[in-house]
Amino acid sequence: MKTGVYFCNCGSNIADKISSAAVSEAAKSFPEGTYVTIVDFICSEDGKQQFEESLKAERPDRVVVAACSPRDHEATFRRCLTNVEMNPYLMQMVNIREQIAWVTEDPAAATEKAIGAIRGAVCRVRLQQPLEKKQLEVCPDALVIGAGPAGMKAALSLAEAGRSVVLVERTPFMGGLPVRFDELFPALECAPCMLEPLMGDLLHGDYAEKIELITMAEVVEVTGFYGNFIAKIRQKPRHVSLHECIGCGECVEACPATTLNVFNSSTSERKAIDFAFAGVLPNAPFLMEDVCIRSRGEICRACKDACPMGEDVVDLDEMETVIERTIGAIIIATGAGLYDASQVVGMGFGTLPDVYDALQFERMLSSTGPTGGEIMTADGGAPSSVAIIHCVGSLDDAHKPYCSGICCQYAFKFNHMITAKLPEATITHYHRELVVPGKEAHSLFHHAVENKNSSLKRYNSIGDLAITRNSSGQLLVNFEGGADTVDMVILCPAVTPAEGADELSAMLDVSRDSFGFYRELHGRMDAAQSTIKGIYLAGACQEPMDVRTAMLEGMASVGYTLAGLQPGRTIEIEPITAEVDETRCSGCRLCGSVCPYHAITFNVEQNVSAVNAVLCHGCGTCVTACPSGAITGHHFTNEQIMAEIEGVLK
Amino acid sequence: MIPVKAFEPKIIGFLCNWCSYAGADKAGGAQEAYPPNVQVIRVMCSGRVDPQFILSSLANGADGVIVLACHPGDCHYKEGNCRALQRHSMLLLLLEQLGIEKERYRLDYVSAGEGEKFAQVITEMVESVRALGPLSVAQESID
Repeated sequence: MKTGVYFCNCGSNIADKISSAAVSEAAKSFPEGTYVTIVDFICSEDGKQQFEESLKAERPDRVVVAACSPRDHEATFRRCLTNVEMNPYLMQMVNIREQIAWVTEDPAAATEKAIGAIRGAVCRVRLQQPLEKKQLEVCPDALVIGAGPAGMKAALSLAEAGRSVVLVERTPFMGGLPVRFDELFPALECAPCMLEPLMGDLLHGDYAEKIELITMAEVVEVTGFYGNFIAKIRQKPRHVSLHECIGCGECVEACPATTLNVFNSSTSERKAIDFAFAGVLPNAPFLMEDVCIRSRGEICRACKDACPMGEDVVDLDEMETVIERTIGAIIIATGAGLYDASQVVGMGFGTLPDVYDALQFERMLSSTGPTGGEIMTADGGAPSSVAIIHCVGSLDDAHKPYCSGICCQYAFKFNHMITAKLPEATITHYHRELVVPGKEAHSLFHHAVENKNSSLKRYNSIGDLAITRNSSGQLLVNFEGGADTVDMVILCPAVTPAEGADELSAMLDVSRDSFGFYRELHGRMDAAQSTIKGIYLAGACQEPMDVRTAMLEGMASVGYTLAGLQPGRTIEIEPITAEVDETRCSGCRLCGSVCPYHAITFNVEQNVSAVNAVLCHGCGTCVTACPSGAITGHHFTNEQIMAEIEGVLK
Repeated sequence: MIPVKAFEPKIIGFLCNWCSYAGADKAGGAQEAYPPNVQVIRVMCSGRVDPQFILSSLANGADGVIVLACHPGDCHYKEGNCRALQRHSMLLLLLEQLGIEKERYRLDYVSAGEGEKFAQVITEMVESVRALGPLSVAQESID
């Protein structure tokens, strides 16, 4: 077998330490048919040309390139082999620059080490086999997880581009957090009114048939990779047919069971079968099984009987279903939540009445909320003084060290809305820092500053503040040097990732940062890409952000999806994968248990395992685990590695 | 008097492609000098290092073997380094039965950024095997 060793001097980088003459001399004792060619800079245009011409003249069966790290130029030299119609996997590189010449002081020792390494590569390369990259068809469609602003924008835009979209939403409705708010900063725009056209288009617009909205559902398993993901989506039963329900609410009236409504921050009641809140889309109620009196064994079909649309709309026996879909890309748009303000000592959250977090207060302000939009204390009166506490848990090493970015703006929005509803009420902002960036945020800020009923007080540390109640039952905001009596306290807690991010990130194997937000592939260059190819990030699952930025990020994720996955275009699969020899497989399934990518399936009938080359990443862990030696790790076979070991030690 | 050439151990180093091999390249880029006794064999993942590679290295004249993996939690293939650790503990028991000192078979973690640590780990390994002297085990006990 003829083996060509191409020794690169890399100018003086290698030549200063490793004697090419000594290598050529030593090669005489290498396996028969080995020749050595010295090149000055093999990666240069001249060098590559010399390399290719030599390959054409010599026609070696195998090639060794002793030069820099394969991490630098393996792909370069593989292309050279391809150019001269040699299979690129018939080459082995020896890293004599980074790992020998640059790190060995004594030239004689460096030369000796290089000779050993090159001999190992020559012994190994003789056993290497030609391998072919496979071309794989891709699915151009996408899964969007989360139907908030970012997810909705992404889903609709993908549909407009002709892609099919599966839009999975955990709650029974679309719109994320903002749809629960009455007005949005900076322009006090009505949030449901702003979002409604988008939601309407998703449900009934020109491209709606491209969008499959699956509410009350979670993605529970994803296998495959970029271009060919298979997602399993578990949908809880709504017990109400979305296609047939007209949203009249007759069933709600009839229902005898009640519970607290989590979509009003548990500040109001709902029926077992009820809407999340008034005006939701899709406009249909959902039944909470654990609240329904049937869960206690009682017989009831009041909702079903009350439905004017017939027997089939309410299905009391509906079961959980698992839906499987094939998609090429995944957009995570799972949004944000609020830090639990009861974790911040002294805020009285959860223990004192009339202390609300921002989400609870947004619902109180909302005409679809528990009070119909009236600002009222627990005893039903209108507050004459309101404290708004900024930076609760933000910019605080004991809680969240980052600035949540949006709180000051919604706090000044609250100021505006409180004054509009209760012109006589006084409002005090207790803030640590103030953040009102951009060209629009200043307006609400100036309004608050100029509001004769409002004032701003700065504190140094949240520990300097304490919310207490005096003997007559009034709330006090205690601060260094004084205390204010107030009727209501609104806390602006740190913005955190939405609940469920732990499970989803573990399942998708997408990394998160130390705060639990999804980690970007690159914080500036590729901020809408996750660390996994084909999985994109949109909206506040990635960091605290406002609706505007979330919508833009939704579009950014669409851009990546459309650019990367084009109908009819294939993607290449590396051939360095594992393969099971079925005749030697004993069916022990050890390989499947060590595979990190669920790439190994087990055929029960034939009692053998098989590796899915699409899912295999080529790590070789299963190859080593197989007790029968039935798995081959292509390009890293036992025989090749053993030959290299023997070669370097000779 | 003919000078006696000092003992220079031969060591095989199995490096995973993503962290430790990149760490070795980093050491190279920074020109961190270290002893030349370790011959590197690149594998995609430390989880690919078969116990028979270790035994074969020792049977073929190596005085020591070092496996370098990604740090726990950083494995490019999620958990291949955990497999490497499991196999390392198992193989240490076997080597003990063969009378081979545990210092001859080391597992350590080097990230792509830790060029300095790579040079340090290699230096330590070479020194500890040098101190032990040549490996002498009856050939048939490894075969």
